[in-house]
Amino acid sequence: MPPEAGGGHQAARAVAMATARRAMRSAALWGLVFGGYVAYAALQFSAAYPTPASRAKVASELGGNPGLVALFGQGQRLGTVAGFTAWRVMGVLTLLGGVWGMLTATRLTRGEEEAGRWELFLTGQTTRQRAAAQAIAGLAAGLVTLWAITAVITVAAGSAPRVHFPVTGSLVLAVCVTAGAAEFLAVGMLAGQLFSARRQANAFAAAVLGACFLIRVVADSASSLRWLRWASPLGWAEQLRPLTSPDALPLLPIAGLVVVLAAASIALAGRRDLGGATIITRDSAAAHTRLLNAPGGLAVRLSRPAMIGWCAGLAVVGLTGGLVAKSAANAISGSVAIKQVIGRLGGHTGSATYLGIVFLVAAALVCVAAAGQIAATRDEEAEGHIDHLVARRVGRLRWLAGRVLAGVALIIAASLAAGVAGWAGEAADHTGLSFVQLLKAGVNIAPPALFVLGVGILAYGWWPRFAATAVYGLVAWSFMIELIAAIITNRWLADTSVLHHINPVPAADPDWNSATWLVGLAIAAAAVGGAGFKSRDLASA
Amino acid sequence: MDAVIRTEKLTKTFGSSRALSSLSLQVAPGEVFGYLGPNGAGKTTTIRLLLGMIRATSGRAEIFGVDCQRHPAVAHRRAAFVPGEASLWPSLTGEETLHLLGRVHGHVDAAYRDVLIDRFDLDPAKRVRAYSKGNRQKVLLIAGLMTRADLLLLDEPTSGLDPLMEQAFRHCVAEARERGQTVFLSSHVLSEVEALADRVAILRAGHLVEIGSLAQMRHLSALSIDAGFDSAPPDLSRVPGVTAVEVQGNRVRCQVSGSINPLLHVLTGAGVRKLISREPSLEELFLAYYGQADTPREVPGAA
Repeated sequence: MPPEAGGGHQAARAVAMATARRAMRSAALWGLVFGGYVAYAALQFSAAYPTPASRAKVASELGGNPGLVALFGQGQRLGTVAGFTAWRVMGVLTLLGGVWGMLTATRLTRGEEEAGRWELFLTGQTTRQRAAAQAIAGLAAGLVTLWAITAVITVAAGSAPRVHFPVTGSLVLAVCVTAGAAEFLAVGMLAGQLFSARRQANAFAAAVLGACFLIRVVADSASSLRWLRWASPLGWAEQLRPLTSPDALPLLPIAGLVVVLAAASIALAGRRDLGGATIITRDSAAAHTRLLNAPGGLAVRLSRPAMIGWCAGLAVVGLTGGLVAKSAANAISGSVAIKQVIGRLGGHTGSATYLGIVFLVAAALVCVAAAGQIAATRDEEAEGHIDHLVARRVGRLRWLAGRVLAGVALIIAASLAAGVAGWAGEAADHTGLSFVQLLKAGVNIAPPALFVLGVGILAYGWWPRFAATAVYGLVAWSFMIELIAAIITNRWLADTSVLHHINPVPAADPDWNSATWLVGLAIAAAAVGGAGFKSRDLASA
Repeated sequence: MDAVIRTEKLTKTFGSSRALSSLSLQVAPGEVFGYLGPNGAGKTTTIRLLLGMIRATSGRAEIFGVDCQRHPAVAHRRAAFVPGEASLWPSLTGEETLHLLGRVHGHVDAAYRDVLIDRFDLDPAKRVRAYSKGNRQKVLLIAGLMTRADLLLLDEPTSGLDPLMEQAFRHCVAEARERGQTVFLSSHVLSEVEALADRVAILRAGHLVEIGSLAQMRHLSALSIDAGFDSAPPDLSRVPGVTAVEVQGNRVRCQVSGSINPLLHVLTGAGVRKLISREPSLEELFLAYYGQADTPREVPGAA
């Protein structure tokens, strides 16, 4: 072998090593979270419901709630520790793993390339294809780490006498909960080959993830729609049914998807320029200067793609939720104890209960949109874009006000889009809820997101480096708390979730009092953040 | 007339490191003021303080008599800024960027903007993400120059430009001077400052080490001497003021600072045949200050 070729291999290995190192570091952390969550679910359930009678009771209550079934998927043998644990962790962790996989893959492939670090590797004999293959190997190392740590903790928790999972069952459960991560590592990798900017790649992968999640939710909403599960990669993992009645068949499409996407990524990597994209966006454009006269208009212009994307996404969530609400409610009309299951859902119809949960998910999504606005605001400063404005005649607070107003507009527009689309969906199916009820449901999900925006401005004003982490952390924490709310009994813990302070409209009336508090606190937090932003140094470009 | 820029004991510390130490300087109306220093000397820190982007630890900074720290937006009314880091909104086109920056500045000489676009050979229909670094820098230069602002604050404005475009830039600065605009030019491109600046300040590790016209600075520095003889040259190492003696056959090279008379006396006494003396370039001036950063600095001939 000529020496240069040897050098090329070494350079390619460098890509694999660099990717693996960072993927494994992140995977180790998330493995602890995954394993910890599995252990928590198993140990908590077995301790809280020690007798077969109590387990049977909670199983019929939770398993009969259409919203929870839609969120977590269809459970099996919920009266057993094994069945309950699998049901409880699968839906959450495949989704969470999907988010992790997509972000990790785009960060370590397109993100690295965008930052110019791949140029160093690719100056030798290494081809882009080979580098892409090595990056995939590095990501695979991360995935194995995620699985291994999850598996170790699951086996350990499963060996507790009152839990008592078979070892193979624990290992399969670990495979199932990491399946979403595997699928979306591959989706993220492909997205990184398609687009030239990490942000675009993330947006694409997030849209795919959202669609997959939505399809799975719809599929689990009514028994007549169960077949739809095969249309969503997140539905495949659900059907592996670890611990209860394992079925290896769904492993085929999961593995197939990963292999096909990985191969496509490698092929695409060879067909494009370094730093280039498969999907070429036009380089030239006619000037549209209508919005470009003041910082506020600029903020609207810059967040317009996000605004359109979020409004469309939430409209789809609302519309599908509305469309399937009646069938979801019919599917469980025989169920006994929905009312007392989740007390705060109150005595409403099954459709309203179901839509209450749909709008809880919508509320979480609007919170993510708010967090994204904080991250974008921080980026404007970190990239040095703000310098061009404050060096001219734009005061800092005027600039920040423009960003905040764009964020508020996005939140309100997306919330209303969910409400109106939800009404359109349920009206088409003659579900019987009024336009005002659904409009209220839309309005109701705005305050938590406004709160997230306010807290984000506070963090951004004083600790800009941590602002994005803080708000995304707050939203993720809140959503996790909501997902496990049914099994946590600590009121104080539940109250730390910003989503816990809204009522599940349309199953209940909006809690205007609490909404006023959320918005009031948001305004106060933003004001304090503004004071910090005015007095501190701007980050250097 | 009052100074355009005035700083008084302007100081900035980041944590424990002092980026700028008690800077006091004034820039007069209509002058091109060169601000020289190696990377990390505090040039950008000074400009960011003048722009109110960072808060002074102590001291004052004024533009046209307005406190830059307290009323930045007011102070910038008559100033335009061109940064050296060409980071712009990637989704906007060049034309959109120029429109936006013009509107938030307030005043734009549209005819001159078109001249500049032509002179710098910029395609304004392209999106910023498709521009090279040099092209992004052109957008920023045009955005600054097209305002015809009374004060141009330029922070290493030619980074990434090719020599032809650097020439166009110099032409623009000369034009600005003719129109009576004041230019604050931070740079480490010495030839650029040498060609353009009326006065120069040299910054090192946050301290102002020298300020004055180039003529004033030259007398502080050594003169380079190259002398030829018919036979071996005399020993110059003991002549007062002479340093860096280098002998090559019948030729000798050295530096002399202070009075040149003792050296001339020795050279003529030894029958010098050929003598070249040369004023140091700004490059050499700079080396005198920064050449050996780890040895104690001596300002040759400083009285």
